Amino acid sequence: MRLIDAAAWVCLLAPLSACAAITLGGERLTRRACGVISSATTVVAFAAAVAAFARMLAEPGGRRAHTTSSWTWLQAGKYHFGLTLLTDQLSVMMMLIVAGVGSLIVAYSVGYMDGEDEERRYFAYMSLFVFSMLLLVQSGNLLLLLAGWGMVGLSSYLLIGFYQQRPEAIAAAKKAFVMNAFGDATMALALFLLIEHTGRLDFASVFSHAPRHGTLATLIALGLLGGAVAKSAQIPLHTWLPDAMEGPTPVSALIHAATMVTAGVYLIVRTHPLFENARAVEDLAAGLGAATLLMAGLIALVQVDIKRVIAYSTMSQIGYMFVGAGIGAYPSAMFHLMTHAFFKALLFLSAGIVIHALGGEQDVRRMGGLGRALPFTRAVFAVGTLALVGVPPFAGFFSKDSIIAATLTRGAFGDCLFAVCLAGAFLTGLYSLRLYLLVFGGAQSEFAAEHLHRPAGRLEAAPSMIWTVAVLAVGATVAGFLQFAEVWHPLTTWLAPVAAPLSEATNRQEAVASVASVGLGLAGMSVAYALYGGAQPRRLPRPLALLVQGFYWDQLYAAIFYRPAELAAQGLARFVEAPLIAGSIGELSRGFRLGSGELGRVQNGLVRSYVLAIASGVAVLAVVFLSTR
Amino acid sequence: MHGPDVTWYVVLAAVLFVIGALGVLVRRSPLIILLSVEIMLNGSNLALIAFARHVGREDGQIFAIAVMAIAASEVVVGLGLIVAMGRRNVELDVDKLRTLRG
Repeated sequence: MRLIDAAAWVCLLAPLSACAAITLGGERLTRRACGVISSATTVVAFAAAVAAFARMLAEPGGRRAHTTSSWTWLQAGKYHFGLTLLTDQLSVMMMLIVAGVGSLIVAYSVGYMDGEDEERRYFAYMSLFVFSMLLLVQSGNLLLLLAGWGMVGLSSYLLIGFYQQRPEAIAAAKKAFVMNAFGDATMALALFLLIEHTGRLDFASVFSHAPRHGTLATLIALGLLGGAVAKSAQIPLHTWLPDAMEGPTPVSALIHAATMVTAGVYLIVRTHPLFENARAVEDLAAGLGAATLLMAGLIALVQVDIKRVIAYSTMSQIGYMFVGAGIGAYPSAMFHLMTHAFFKALLFLSAGIVIHALGGEQDVRRMGGLGRALPFTRAVFAVGTLALVGVPPFAGFFSKDSIIAATLTRGAFGDCLFAVCLAGAFLTGLYSLRLYLLVFGGAQSEFAAEHLHRPAGRLEAAPSMIWTVAVLAVGATVAGFLQFAEVWHPLTTWLAPVAAPLSEATNRQEAVASVASVGLGLAGMSVAYALYGGAQPRRLPRPLALLVQGFYWDQLYAAIFYRPAELAAQGLARFVEAPLIAGSIGELSRGFRLGSGELGRVQNGLVRSYVLAIASGVAVLAVVFLSTR
Repeated sequence: MHGPDVTWYVVLAAVLFVIGALGVLVRRSPLIILLSVEIMLNGSNLALIAFARHVGREDGQIFAIAVMAIAASEVVVGLGLIVAMGRRNVELDVDKLRTLRG
């Protein structure tokens, strides 16, 4: 077996082995040991990904895709689906992100979940998630990808509902699962169409045999887009993501910011030949991304839960990635996916330190002035905020601006996207600095003075929480230098054999986009500073109910789907169940009781009447036999 | 073959059987009912013997003797029951014996 294939298998199976060991070990393993096992195996997976990456670097550019198959999983007629891993430039990049950020976040959890009941279950689920996510990005055919797709949905469900004694957590978990199942279903339908048309599901032959145009191509791309939209929480299947913040904070960082929710972007980039066969669907993806980034940015302005603000910001940033993937700027979308994984994980994890320090409080209205007590957290949160807004030289600047610049290459539609993206950049600056100032700026709030506690010693939290956040802060600062416009673009070159961009922005377009988006981001930040900057925040008008309620999507879905179903159920219970089912049983039993009462009178105890019955019966039989002979 | 045709015997047997059956159905005294049952048995015996003679074999006659034996034992049991009822001062009327009523 070649080194790359071996590394791919190690990378995939290490987290699964941790999950199995923790599950089977039960109470024989101490809680701390479970955390260590889970982190160590994720680090092993990361090391394997690095090994595969290093080996691949040494290979010639055109021959970097490797498939390895362990056994045939499904065999039906002429269809064969193997347990096949594909290790190419794109999947190795995703492996590095998933295992790298994943190992940092799992290591962070060792400190964050310390003392929590059922730590073992938590780490088993975390390892299961890392395995599922790696399966998703490493799979060599669409069927295995769908399996990984479903399994990340399952682990997300399990982890959102981790605090199973909280009804809101259970409701959020169910909501996420149902909305993701919708996407899984549309994706499965797309795969059925592909099987019917091409007979295969491995990427290479699907791409070469898939229908080039027409309704079928559109339907396939639409089905895949449905899966991507549900998983990545884009309009109209986005309402589960804010509620998913009921899970533990590291879960939000890993699943609902850094990796799983970006799987939709990965799917579009991975199957981009299918999307390019249906340009309308690509435009739809970009349009949905633009709508989501604007809407989520607006909603984030008024949210008061620290994690919900970051969740809406995640939706908004994934909207940027969808715009990038939709207009064919695949390397830019993947680049933003990578930098976003760093700075959004950083924001979530430092928010986790704040939440821990305040004993579980998440309401920003009760925070304020925490900067003095938590200087390190303030510093890393500031790094995350600057990277999110896209202030140079932090990571977000490079990746977001390359997407915004790419919109300029797509004509009138691209210009609309460009305007929306810039509006989004302004909103990003506004809500990010608002969050930062509400949490760390100003005077210390009463609640914080009363409840703030930091562990004894120099550190602001458990050691594993501090160093992982520090590493992510470094990543959020330097990751952007991987690529800069036309000057320096190793990532585009690296991804070119798998996903070459459809068009590349010129230096002039890049410059326009950068100046505009940085300017608007800074403008947003100054507005936020003017509003929230003082020692005593100015009194603000009541926030719009439209924004607080998240544009009433939940109410809309309740009105469209939940209420009719409830009414139908009530109607059926009243008009069908009560009279037909419950009523008919009463009628039947009453009928039988009456009938048997009547029949009982025949048995009168008079022997002569029995004899008469027998005799007349025999007489009738005799007549019948004689007449029919 | 001498004597009347077999048809007449069968008709007589049927008449005897119906007389017995009517007796069973309409009379109330167990003694008379027992008697009527004997008439029915004799009717069937007559039919057996008539057919045996008609086809020229003895099976029917042997069968008739078996029926007589069974009729005799039946009378023994039936009369015993009636005597037992009489001893216990039970009224000898079958319509009063309705303990089988459902």
